[in-house]
Amino acid sequence: MEATSKVPVHDTDCLNLEPKSKACPRPKPGEAAGGCAFDGAQITLLPIADAAHLVHGPAACIGNSWESRGSLSSGPRLSEYGFGTALGERDIIFGAEKKLKASIDYIAVRFAPPAIFVYATCVTALIGEDLDAVCGEASTRLGLPVIPVTSPGFLGSKNLGNRLAGEALMQYVIGRSEPDDAVRGTSVNLLGEYNIAGEMWEIERLMNRAGISVSSRITGDGRFREIGWAHRAKVNMVVCSRALLGLAKRMEHTYRIPYFEGSFYGAKETSYSLRQMAYLLNDRDTEFKVDRLIEREEARVAEALKPYRKLFKGKRAILYTGGVKSWSVISALNELGIRVVGVGTNKSTAEDVSRIVDRIGEDAEYIPEGGAKRILKAVKERKADLMIAGGRNMYVAMKERIPFIDINQERHTAYAGYDGLLRLAEQIRYTLQHPVWELAERPAPWEEAGKTHDR
Amino acid sequence: MSAKPEIADFNDLFLSDEYKELLERKKAFEAPCTAAEVEEASAYSKSEAYKEKNFARNSLVVNPAKACQPLGSVMAALGFEKTLPFLHGSQGCTAYFRSHLSRHFKEPVPAVSSSMTEDGAVFGGMRNLIEGLENSVALYKPEMVAVSTTCMAEVIGDDLNAFIETARQEGAVGKDVPIPYANTPSFVGSHITGYDAMLKSILSYLYERSEDVAASSKADFAKLNLILGFEPYTGNFAELKRILSIFGSGYTFLGDQSGNFDSPAAGEYSYYYGGTKLSDVPKAASALGTISLQKYAVKKTLEYIQSGWSQQVVSMPTPIGIRATDRLLAAISEITGLDVPKELTEERGRIVDALTDSHNYLHGKRVALAGDPDLLLGLIGFCLETGMEPVHIVCTNGDKEFQQEAEGLLSSSPYGEEGQVHIGRDLWHMRSLLISDPVDLAIGSSHLKYAAKDANIPLVRLGFPIFDRHHMHRYPIIGYQGTLNVLSLIVNTVLQQLDDQAPEYGFDLVR
Repeated sequence: MEATSKVPVHDTDCLNLEPKSKACPRPKPGEAAGGCAFDGAQITLLPIADAAHLVHGPAACIGNSWESRGSLSSGPRLSEYGFGTALGERDIIFGAEKKLKASIDYIAVRFAPPAIFVYATCVTALIGEDLDAVCGEASTRLGLPVIPVTSPGFLGSKNLGNRLAGEALMQYVIGRSEPDDAVRGTSVNLLGEYNIAGEMWEIERLMNRAGISVSSRITGDGRFREIGWAHRAKVNMVVCSRALLGLAKRMEHTYRIPYFEGSFYGAKETSYSLRQMAYLLNDRDTEFKVDRLIEREEARVAEALKPYRKLFKGKRAILYTGGVKSWSVISALNELGIRVVGVGTNKSTAEDVSRIVDRIGEDAEYIPEGGAKRILKAVKERKADLMIAGGRNMYVAMKERIPFIDINQERHTAYAGYDGLLRLAEQIRYTLQHPVWELAERPAPWEEAGKTHDR
Repeated sequence: MSAKPEIADFNDLFLSDEYKELLERKKAFEAPCTAAEVEEASAYSKSEAYKEKNFARNSLVVNPAKACQPLGSVMAALGFEKTLPFLHGSQGCTAYFRSHLSRHFKEPVPAVSSSMTEDGAVFGGMRNLIEGLENSVALYKPEMVAVSTTCMAEVIGDDLNAFIETARQEGAVGKDVPIPYANTPSFVGSHITGYDAMLKSILSYLYERSEDVAASSKADFAKLNLILGFEPYTGNFAELKRILSIFGSGYTFLGDQSGNFDSPAAGEYSYYYGGTKLSDVPKAASALGTISLQKYAVKKTLEYIQSGWSQQVVSMPTPIGIRATDRLLAAISEITGLDVPKELTEERGRIVDALTDSHNYLHGKRVALAGDPDLLLGLIGFCLETGMEPVHIVCTNGDKEFQQEAEGLLSSSPYGEEGQVHIGRDLWHMRSLLISDPVDLAIGSSHLKYAAKDANIPLVRLGFPIFDRHHMHRYPIIGYQGTLNVLSLIVNTVLQQLDDQAPEYGFDLVR
């Protein structure tokens, strides 16, 4: 076997407090690549639903991306608008700061947002547009936060972009507003939860049942104002993504808010996260409520999962989700009785990988690179029944007739929390049992052995 | 399995009381506007006064209906056998293109990036390109690598020709692997110009490197070249092939991405499916002539074929409708010297019959159109033929020449009288148009669904990209058969709307 039951070693700088350009694992030239730092910054900030998000660059950076993210909003929809400066050749030669200023002014007047995030792109970073100056001037003149997000695509991966967006929040937003009384008390910030398919709502509902309130959603279904008062929360939870860990560390340093890392994929992880919140809130009553909630929910889920566990016995899955989600999804799959026999680690940090190892051991195959073919090879060699990956790999799996679960942001099923685990189980059941695989797996009737005519 | 747990659907789940209450609490700190203020702003955004302000907007774009050059060049590359699209620049662009095309075709899209970073910005991207070529050829084993650029490489001014030459000298990639390249920055043109640039580069590269052009067989001289251009419909390839086989004409498609974008679930994934054979390209230079079913999307390519290959070239916008298809068949007949087969004439009669069946429901319907130039011209023609009235026509990536042609077409019919062509405008402009001057139907890509919803009119999905409906691209929209598909899409949308809006007494069985 050409690769590697050995655990790959990655650059560990990714966990540093200060983002450095070389921090996260980088794609190798000549391979199919993942999203860029610009994409990452948008992932983190676009869920702030009432803000305007203006892309300073060629039209296609938004043309390719507007209105295609799965972060849900319960109210404002301004973040869904694809605002851009659509630079042309002349702008590249003569500069486009005037155009940017005019665009900011137009948005401020016509759309009246509480804030405007302005994103640098490869082009504007390279031609040396002074985003900070234009945004600073506009902020003062308009009396409106206009926030530069300096995360051009070429800086690196999606993960790095997430972190740079966190930096922008720390520098320009957090600590700039004060909460309503209602959200003081036992309040927790959720960092890096983007409300894909409504997962944030599911989590918030659970927390509320345990008497814990969410102070600031960073940033799933978030509003600009609530992020401003994140510094008043009692606890920060970094939700199954290393990307905003830097922000949590900064906030601990500056505002003395303790943080922990957790996930809501799977009952165990969910319970752990709730317990951890209660523990850090240091509130007897909350701890008691959390315990009771967990007891009740775990019993309910265990009962509901029984038929699934029977069904999934001996099933094997390959995970190819990019780094951050992989370890948390593994826990969920373990609870369903599905064995993870292979994990793609090309976007994982060393820390992610060590967490994966904690959960499945070194027995599984670690696939650090190699694109679609490499994953498919692993599926075959390891006799996997199921592949769990994002949208770009979905159709590859279909070609190979591999049952598939989409774990990416386009999906419409919330997998977080106790009910989320049930939903995941049900989705996997659908996928595994679907009659289409019977059609796909068998050759046409006239191609089956013994049916050829000799004539 | 019988004991199925109660699992609420995505759409219902968050409407339950517990969630409603949870989300209601949030309103406390959302932008504190009263319902009246929201109402007022919403009303203003739908006013004539706002439309004027909106059309005076010249720095900002809101909801553009175009993608960028390298996306088009990826599609062009995938039109050739075992060709790997290679994008020189920063990595994220490639991820966007793969997602974009995957979401439309529901197929995997192979494409790689040289993944330049800020080191590249300082020192140039040569090392990335060379290393990238070496890795990708080893990993994906292509027969050809089609290199195009993203903004980053263009802004720092990378010299592709020199870099590729260096890669060969260093032995990173063998001499036998053709590597055509095109400069395709996003800040110039759109996906259609990128398609054009890459296609032209592939054709000229393969033609000029081949030494045995003269060795083309007699059969090659009797063939016809066909170009479909930036073609989001795999069904159009199949339809055109069907037409040509009825004619009995030999043909070569210059770019045929239908294999890659419509491959079978055969149990084993290959990176490459179908595509024009590389060896067919030099032979195509000796063909009878070239017919292109797009004009604006392949301008430079057609110029090249005309001058470089000294060939007769006939180009037309997407042939939708009877007259446009007539012109296509006449062109095939003229260049090949073959008569239009009876079978196609009969087919024509059947589709004309279908149009007469539906004409009552289409007559006088006012429509708004958005899309690429060639598709729009095809659709305008179809509308005029079926008595529909194109009113708002928005073409984000259209040029002056397109505008003139579209206006000329509109003025050729009384049904086109009201038609206004807006080039360089976006879908936020379209929203203003739809609201201040309402129409019955919108026709365009999935992106148009938001404006259509605001204006409370149905959207007929035609064009690129279509993310939210399945299999539309598998059905042709060109030729007589394609005309029938477009007709039934539109008329059935109209009929559905009649049902949806009908009072009790008007909910008719027969329509």
